[in-house]
Amino acid sequence: MSETLDKENILTGTARDWSSDMTTFKGVPWGKAMMWIFLLSDTFIFTCFLTGYMVVRSTTTEPWPVPSEVFALSVGGVAVPLLLIAIMTFVLITSSGTMAMAVNAGYRRNKKLVFWLMAATALLGATFVGMQVFEWSKLILEEGIRPWGYTDDSHLLGNAPQFGAIFFMVTGFHGLHVSIGVAYLLIVATKVLRGKYDHTNLEIVEITGLYWHFVDLVWVFIFAFFYLW
Amino acid sequence: MRVALLILAVVVGSVIFNFTTPFHLGQIASNWGLIDVTIWITFVLCGLAFIILGILMAWWIYTYQYQPGQLAEYEPEDPVLEGRLTILTTIGVVVMLAPGLIAWNDYIAVPEDAIELEVFSEQWTWSFRLPGEDGIFGYAHNKNIDIIANPMGIRDDDPYAQDDLVIETNIVKVPVDKKIKVLLRSKDVLHDFWVPEIRAKMDSVPGMVTYFWFEPTRTGVFEILCAELCGSSHHAMRGEMHIVTREEYQLWLDDQITWAERKAGVVPLTPVQQLGQTVARDNGCFACHNTTGAAGTPGPTWKGMWGTEVELDDGSIVTRDEAYVRESITNPGAKLVKGFSNTMLQLSDDVTTEDIDALIEYLKTTTPAVE
Amino acid sequence: MATVEVPYQETVPLHHPKTWLGKYVFSQDHKVIAIQYGVTAMAVGLVALFLSELMRIQLAFPGAMPWFTADMYYQSITMHGMIMVIYLLTAFLLGAFGNFCIPLMCGARDMAFPFVNMLSYWVYLISVILLLLSYVVPGGPTGAGWTLYPPQTITAGTPGDDWGIAMMLISLAVFIAAFTMGGLNYITTILQARTRGMTLMRMPLTVWGIFIATFLGLIAFPALFVSAVMMLLDKFLGTSFFMPAIVSLGKSLDYSGGQPLLFQHLFWFFGHPEVYIVALPAFGVISDLISVHARKNIFGYRMMVWAIVAIGILSLVVWAHHMYVAGMHPYFGFFFATTTLIIAVPTALKVYNWLLTLWRANIRLTVPMLWALAFVLTFIVGGITGLFLGNVIIDIPLSDTYFVVAHFHMVMGVSPIFAIFGGIYHWYPKLSGRMLNDKIGLLHFYITFIGTYLIYFPMHYLGFIGTPRRYYETGVTEVTGFYPQSAHDLNVFITCVALFVGVSQLLFVYNLIVSLKKGKKAGDNPWGANSLEWRTPDTPPGHGNWGERLPTVHRWAYDFGVSHGDQDHIPQDVPKQKSN
Repeated sequence: MSETLDKENILTGTARDWSSDMTTFKGVPWGKAMMWIFLLSDTFIFTCFLTGYMVVRSTTTEPWPVPSEVFALSVGGVAVPLLLIAIMTFVLITSSGTMAMAVNAGYRRNKKLVFWLMAATALLGATFVGMQVFEWSKLILEEGIRPWGYTDDSHLLGNAPQFGAIFFMVTGFHGLHVSIGVAYLLIVATKVLRGKYDHTNLEIVEITGLYWHFVDLVWVFIFAFFYLW
Repeated sequence: MRVALLILAVVVGSVIFNFTTPFHLGQIASNWGLIDVTIWITFVLCGLAFIILGILMAWWIYTYQYQPGQLAEYEPEDPVLEGRLTILTTIGVVVMLAPGLIAWNDYIAVPEDAIELEVFSEQWTWSFRLPGEDGIFGYAHNKNIDIIANPMGIRDDDPYAQDDLVIETNIVKVPVDKKIKVLLRSKDVLHDFWVPEIRAKMDSVPGMVTYFWFEPTRTGVFEILCAELCGSSHHAMRGEMHIVTREEYQLWLDDQITWAERKAGVVPLTPVQQLGQTVARDNGCFACHNTTGAAGTPGPTWKGMWGTEVELDDGSIVTRDEAYVRESITNPGAKLVKGFSNTMLQLSDDVTTEDIDALIEYLKTTTPAVE
Repeated sequence: MATVEVPYQETVPLHHPKTWLGKYVFSQDHKVIAIQYGVTAMAVGLVALFLSELMRIQLAFPGAMPWFTADMYYQSITMHGMIMVIYLLTAFLLGAFGNFCIPLMCGARDMAFPFVNMLSYWVYLISVILLLLSYVVPGGPTGAGWTLYPPQTITAGTPGDDWGIAMMLISLAVFIAAFTMGGLNYITTILQARTRGMTLMRMPLTVWGIFIATFLGLIAFPALFVSAVMMLLDKFLGTSFFMPAIVSLGKSLDYSGGQPLLFQHLFWFFGHPEVYIVALPAFGVISDLISVHARKNIFGYRMMVWAIVAIGILSLVVWAHHMYVAGMHPYFGFFFATTTLIIAVPTALKVYNWLLTLWRANIRLTVPMLWALAFVLTFIVGGITGLFLGNVIIDIPLSDTYFVVAHFHMVMGVSPIFAIFGGIYHWYPKLSGRMLNDKIGLLHFYITFIGTYLIYFPMHYLGFIGTPRRYYETGVTEVTGFYPQSAHDLNVFITCVALFVGVSQLLFVYNLIVSLKKGKKAGDNPWGANSLEWRTPDTPPGHGNWGERLPTVHRWAYDFGVSHGDQDHIPQDVPKQKSN
């Protein structure tokens, strides 16, 4: 085995592996392969959304609302820019950490630990969605932002009508992904605990983890594009 | 045998049809001869490829028909042959692409000395604007549009706008042998200004100003077509472009009115008529009727309607007087103008008799006293 | 080393249906799902065919059908286009051929995820039903053209701007969900569930075509999904993604600042790969048909594979050639004209290789072979007219004319349909155990091939004189004379042929139904083909396709023209001899 590895250069070796019989990706379960391909497709959905955002943002003639003003959270009367979003991001990144630990526990077949870690991940995800609901209601009720524009008493400086539209659409679509992910995590966690996957390698935990990490990764992009631009 | 003959017949038939058909590019009326040349080059190369491939196919089908016991030649691949074919095809592609890109380079570079013509498109008619003596268009935007007072959305206080010539018909004249930059705007949806003999075309997109340029090379009357699907009456969105001599063009220009004159010429409405206009607007009448005379709308145009005779769908003739108009407002289906179907909604109960009286007063104004 | 390895799928237990319902209706067997996909797609295709006949009658005899209004004409072009491209061609080539061929040709027992596969079909059926339901909603289906360009898609001057467009967009989103479920299965199965010895470079070209097409679909359909979502929001929530400030039929709308061109970019980022989603499986099917029936190996197999891959990749960077006159930045023209014409090279190579396969072959002119040959010819015509339209400056006069209509009907209407017909005649024996009737098949072929050629070849010339497409009536023009009476006469001729061809498709339907019971018994391998689907222990293949063990592949699928006992071909699962 090691002899052949030494002999072959990495490129031709990979090409040979990929084009060999039975499986292209050796040792990769079907479910995992499918999740990777699905995530590739999903990447294109978010790419299209974000491309749409960039086009809208760069072609609009009206001034765009200033992120540090719109997304500020007032603590004790002082408006702290991006505070809420920093907490949300922290929560989501933490959930990625617990997810990674769950995967690790899965391969050590510690089903109880898997269950609790996945439940914790789901809880963090739900927290994220909850904070998003809070953020949305603040934007809608206090700032007067609507998908089609602004209410008349909105005090924002920018008034590009697409701001609300693209913001609610993209974060909403991402929030939907997180919500689905929470449900998916809980279902898988319960089934693992009940022993439904005992005949397998518990790779389902890793597959769920792939989805969850993807959702987190997408958030990083959304965060950069909407809150830092 | 039969199949080989059939394929041969298809190839020969196509070639014969090509040389006997009267349907080829119409005689060109602009400077874009380079487009025709590129088409010709592509036509010759592609035509040859089609003939050669077709004949080879027929020939080989005929020659290598199935014979029991016969074995086909075992020949997995021939990299040399494939390489040669690749190079040959690439050369062909380059020969077709290069003149195309050169022509495109000309097409997108508008000459400095081109005169400008704005084409304003809406469902489903054309109108035009010229920059006037100062050579500069006044600013215009769809947000400024008032369908009666300012159908093109020209900004009222723009000094450049005052001498702009507004041409509110679908017939436009352009001078021969003069470079023309066509600027396109749209009031509602996508349209496409196209005159087949000019070869050039371009979409008009609401919210954008698109452009192309050409130089007419022969006089004549040409059809303006809308080439981008724009709704129910897309096919009726026609116009005429007259390419005329410089002298005739100057005469025509002198007949056109400027934006300032048009504004002054609009008779102010009396309060009652104004109320009527508001009633029409609030009840969505302009969704189907208009005052510009554009064709193809779901309801008959109001322009020049009052007091004239019209044929109904049962063939009878009726004068559109007050009684007729009132009946048509309150009971739309009673007498239908020929060619229209009854899709008009009943007015809501909020509309009072006074409102309808005011509406009728307003409708009278849509027919100019002297035309 | 590799021989001792046990394919993962031999360890996976098969799902066995317990009831009649599970076996024939909610079946998880890929062959049943393929039939379900095929029948649904053909049924909805007949609807679209009927719509096209209505349009042809209107064009040739304006006023002959007074009830057929302009609105109905525009609704018909929209539904005809959308059904044909998405719900017939995509669904048939990937849903039916993909489902049937992939597991059988790769040597798998079933798709990787049979349950998801079943779901894929039922979701597809829902999307079809939603689409057809738009005929009963208020206002009827949308009449915006299959390209659905805003703003007109959702403004009042277009039929079906309210309910119709909502049904269309929702149906598309549902279809995309169905396609994604199916597509994940196809790719996973091809990548991870092949049998022993089935390397990627031994896969039949049909599988290669479907494989790359599915990849394209998974990458391109998201763009359509996103644009559908944004348009729904524009319509029902009042957002302004695609909607600038406009005055629609006398009313100022509350939109401002949107970009109609953004939609066009998104749409064509989906729309152009969509052409190849349809074309690549057709390429694959045709390659296999020509090789089998010409009794000769496909010429340049490796080149064919790389051409499919290259076309697939290039097709992602040519989308804006549909937008040369749309008002985008003119410099895009240089880039997209160049990439578009580069695609011509691998495509032309495929055509050369099909022809070179005929050279010194031993050609059996069976019915599937006739379809394949007809495909090559119509594809040549459709391909070279593509060279006209891809070259930006030539596209300026020809876009939005009948030249475009003729071009895309030749290249992605008629050609893939020929591939579908050819494929059905070819695989029907395996699917049903019986041959299709040859006499009816020949009659159907001659009428359809000659007929479609007579319809679309002259149509190019209508485009040359400048006849615009999507016109309810052109009307003979007296003043300018660009559309003379003779052009109208040509239209009448085209309509007559189209009606004849349209009606004669019933022959095919008849043949399919009658041969099911009365057809000649086919046997296991009536065409003498090599690929694995002809090597199943039963015909039609039973549940699980293979016997106890999966077959082992020893060679490529194109060992024709070599004597093997009394035969002129060696199937894929026959071991290689030392001397070979």
